[in-house]
Amino acid sequence: MEEAVYDVFARKQRSEPLRHIGYVDATDDALARVYAWKTYDEENWFEMCVVRRSHIIPVNRIDGPYAARATGRLGRHAVEGR
Amino acid sequence: MPFTEEEIKARVQKGYIVESPEEMTDGYRKALAIQLTVQADTELMSAPSYWMAARHAPSANTQVSAHAIIQDELAHANIAYRLLEDMGISKQKLVYEREPHEFKHPYGFDQPLDNWADLVVANGFFDRAGICLLSDVHRNTSYGPLKRALVKVDMEETFHLRHGEVWMRRLSRAGGAAKEILQRSVDWMFPMTVEWFGLPDDRKRHSGQLEYKLKGLTNDQLRQLWMSSTVPLCERLGLDVPAHFDEASQSYVLDYPFPCQYDASEKRWLFEEGRITWRQVFERWKGRGPMNEIYVESIRRSRGQVSSWLN
Repeated sequence: MEEAVYDVFARKQRSEPLRHIGYVDATDDALARVYAWKTYDEENWFEMCVVRRSHIIPVNRIDGPYAARATGRLGRHAVEGR
Repeated sequence: MPFTEEEIKARVQKGYIVESPEEMTDGYRKALAIQLTVQADTELMSAPSYWMAARHAPSANTQVSAHAIIQDELAHANIAYRLLEDMGISKQKLVYEREPHEFKHPYGFDQPLDNWADLVVANGFFDRAGICLLSDVHRNTSYGPLKRALVKVDMEETFHLRHGEVWMRRLSRAGGAAKEILQRSVDWMFPMTVEWFGLPDDRKRHSGQLEYKLKGLTNDQLRQLWMSSTVPLCERLGLDVPAHFDEASQSYVLDYPFPCQYDASEKRWLFEEGRITWRQVFERWKGRGPMNEIYVESIRRSRGQVSSWLN
């Protein structure tokens, strides 16, 4: 069972920009949507999106969590059974 | 590594915000990893502690609010473990591969919450301690990803505190048996939370967390901050607490030997035995409390089975 990191973006109202509000780990996109909606329930969001971190393409930085594609690191890790 | 230890300390004191693990020195990384592990473990272990106590909720509505708090705590734990993961520290190893005694949550979350009064005082006292500690980190931390993550955490911890205070007021106003059981919860949880803030400043000469600007206030300042809200609250509710405001020093003073020993089986502080050393306190913390293994096991008991179905 392998989970990927998804970053969560949301905005409270129509006029606002989407803002990075957090992250979840999930085995697929469907679960990532559920985890994000249930985890970040502190506001009545107008819009929420999740983006698989490994799909984010860094433009100007080669460090930090979004730079996986720039450095070859992917935002994934194995969930080992016991 | 772009900075030396001295350079990063000087920079963060001037307001520099660290945004990625690649910018960290070894010292900064170690201090932040310890702080985040304590934060994550504390949020995680509060969940089984509150979950077992939620069985004592007096109505369907209170069940819902108690479980909403538990859900928040698990989300907060996940946020802190996720930040550790981005620093190259495995969340899976931290949650599933440590011995129960290796978790770094405070001793208070090794104790049983035996009734509804214990749960709401935990919300009123322990979650207030969490707010004191984390709102200070939120205001002062030099680590950008943590500063942003704490917006949600601070907002939700305030709800937990309100839940605790509203219910403490309700039990106190009811008087009789309700107030007696509330007072018993206060009796063991007040000194438990005072101790939570750790070594007094005159014993703690070197703090990486302050030097790297991972927090802003010292242990004693945070302890005073917690008492400045908690003591007046209890006084308003007619509850006895072993502390008072001292006009001469303009600070809250404890009316019992601090630190002192705790009888976990009786849930009672042994004031009559006098003051003990901090070494003895650390030995007690290291030995963990009666619910340590039960709480840790409750978090991870079904993981192996479900993983085996899926693999």
